[in-house]
Amino acid sequence: MASPSLALISASTLISQGAEAHRFRKGYRHPTLDASLTRSRVAGEARALLRCLRSGVNVPGVRMVDASEGILGIEQVESDALEEYEIPVDVLMQLIGQEIAKMHLADVIHGDLTTSNMMLRHPSSFKSHHPTLRTELVLIDFGLSFYSSLIEDKAVDLYVLERAFSSTHPDSEPLFASILKAYGQGMGKDWAAIERRLDDVRLRGRKRSMVG
Amino acid sequence: MPGRVRSDPLKNPERPYLAIGLEGSANKFGAGVIKHFVDGTTAVLSNIRHTYITPPGEGFQPRHTALHHREWALQIIQECLVKAGVSMHDLDCICYTKGPGMGAPLQSVALVARTLSLLYNKPLVGVNHCVGHIEMGREVTGAQNPVVLYVSGGNTQVIAYSRQCYRIFGEALDIAVGNCLDRFARVINLSNDPAPGYNIEQEAKKGKRLLPIPYVTKGMDVSFSGILTAVEALTTDKRFRPDGQPKNANDEDIITPADLCFSLQETVFAMLVEITERAMAHIGSKEVLIVGGVGANERLQEMMGVMAEERGGKVFAMDERFCIDNGIMIAQAGLLSFRMGFETPISKSTCTQRFRTDQVHVSWRA
Repeated sequence: MASPSLALISASTLISQGAEAHRFRKGYRHPTLDASLTRSRVAGEARALLRCLRSGVNVPGVRMVDASEGILGIEQVESDALEEYEIPVDVLMQLIGQEIAKMHLADVIHGDLTTSNMMLRHPSSFKSHHPTLRTELVLIDFGLSFYSSLIEDKAVDLYVLERAFSSTHPDSEPLFASILKAYGQGMGKDWAAIERRLDDVRLRGRKRSMVG
Repeated sequence: MPGRVRSDPLKNPERPYLAIGLEGSANKFGAGVIKHFVDGTTAVLSNIRHTYITPPGEGFQPRHTALHHREWALQIIQECLVKAGVSMHDLDCICYTKGPGMGAPLQSVALVARTLSLLYNKPLVGVNHCVGHIEMGREVTGAQNPVVLYVSGGNTQVIAYSRQCYRIFGEALDIAVGNCLDRFARVINLSNDPAPGYNIEQEAKKGKRLLPIPYVTKGMDVSFSGILTAVEALTTDKRFRPDGQPKNANDEDIITPADLCFSLQETVFAMLVEITERAMAHIGSKEVLIVGGVGANERLQEMMGVMAEERGGKVFAMDERFCIDNGIMIAQAGLLSFRMGFETPISKSTCTQRFRTDQVHVSWRA
């Protein structure tokens, strides 16, 4: 007999499928490997979300966890197309930087920071405490997240975002620079060390030019 | 960018073009002749390759590999021209691998290309090896704008095209996945003929037991050197039976070479499929193209197929003729840039071991 969580899933409708959709099972993986990865990732995601919620990072609320079935029930974040919000790009970049800084201050490493894993909450779905801003930025998909206070892990987290940016957004450099500026302000005294490490991380990878 | 369609800068040629491609960045020497027709279609006239095969337990050294290429170059080029039914005088350009790859073999092939260029007074086109793989993959499979997984003995990259550049999304931080597989084949003394990776694949089919091996993804990147160490260490485990046979009727808890090949493949391929899936999810692409020598592995193709199906997408893969290093892919990528007006003058016809995929200006795509 199917477990209650599975029955619930099969009775639901699919909203959208990310790379780490909230059914974690992957058919391509060997069942043993899949089971162990699934268990650890569901538990890890739930743990990271709770830690973020406690530290005031904007993330979806956790509704149910069934690690052995690989199911995580979370709040549905109401959102709309970006154009509907009428937010200037620099404000948006600032929001991204601030939110990541809050998360890193809580020692949560996201592991898959891309713009696809960020949402803007719809003004109609909550009450904003901000005087002018009617929305808030929500970080989602913590399936690859983990807990770490190392500057190395924080720098790699930023680097993932930088590469995701440069591969999908034209002229990403000034945009990413403004994210880093807001992030740096948010991180305070920790920023200098992370900034240095980020420069090191950028030089990794095979067949980098050895000149300069 | 969604919603914006730019026209391809590459127009159909006003006359047919012919190019020869010479490849020798690793242990294969390949030559191939490609033809571009006025209607924009392409034909592979010939594609010939010779592989330098070392005895079991040994890898290929740069010096010996270069010697192999020097010994075979002229014969292979001759065969390739005869098969294509063209002469050197008919060609529009000579394309060669500029890099990345092993230094000495690259130099040998560049020297051959330079000599032919001067003898027949034909322009040279230096080609990035990785871009060659991608362009041939697009040509053979007809994939329009796929996420590319490039996996071979020297490279492991997840690539997406954006604004005239093949951008690297994720890559191996240390050794390439093919290198990991090849080196493990040497540890358990598998034959290098036709390829160590191929023999690992056959061996893995007999494996039954999945042993715990580290699963190493870091950001969008992957790492294989620790995995190689871990699986090598299992060959000194007291349960390991090099011949794959139990010692006696009670000898049940054993590890066979086949089990290790199976576990290694399952683990590293799952890592590769995972980072590819994340790139697809981020870009919103439903197509994935596998290129490079490891791309000929049917288990990897199968796993990628399952992932693509779960996402409602499609996987494009090729057989060994086009997956494994070959001359025709160099001809294809070289001719595309030649038609956009690119040439490599003799004085700059160098080669380089370090030449990243994202350093190439992809002038022929919108």
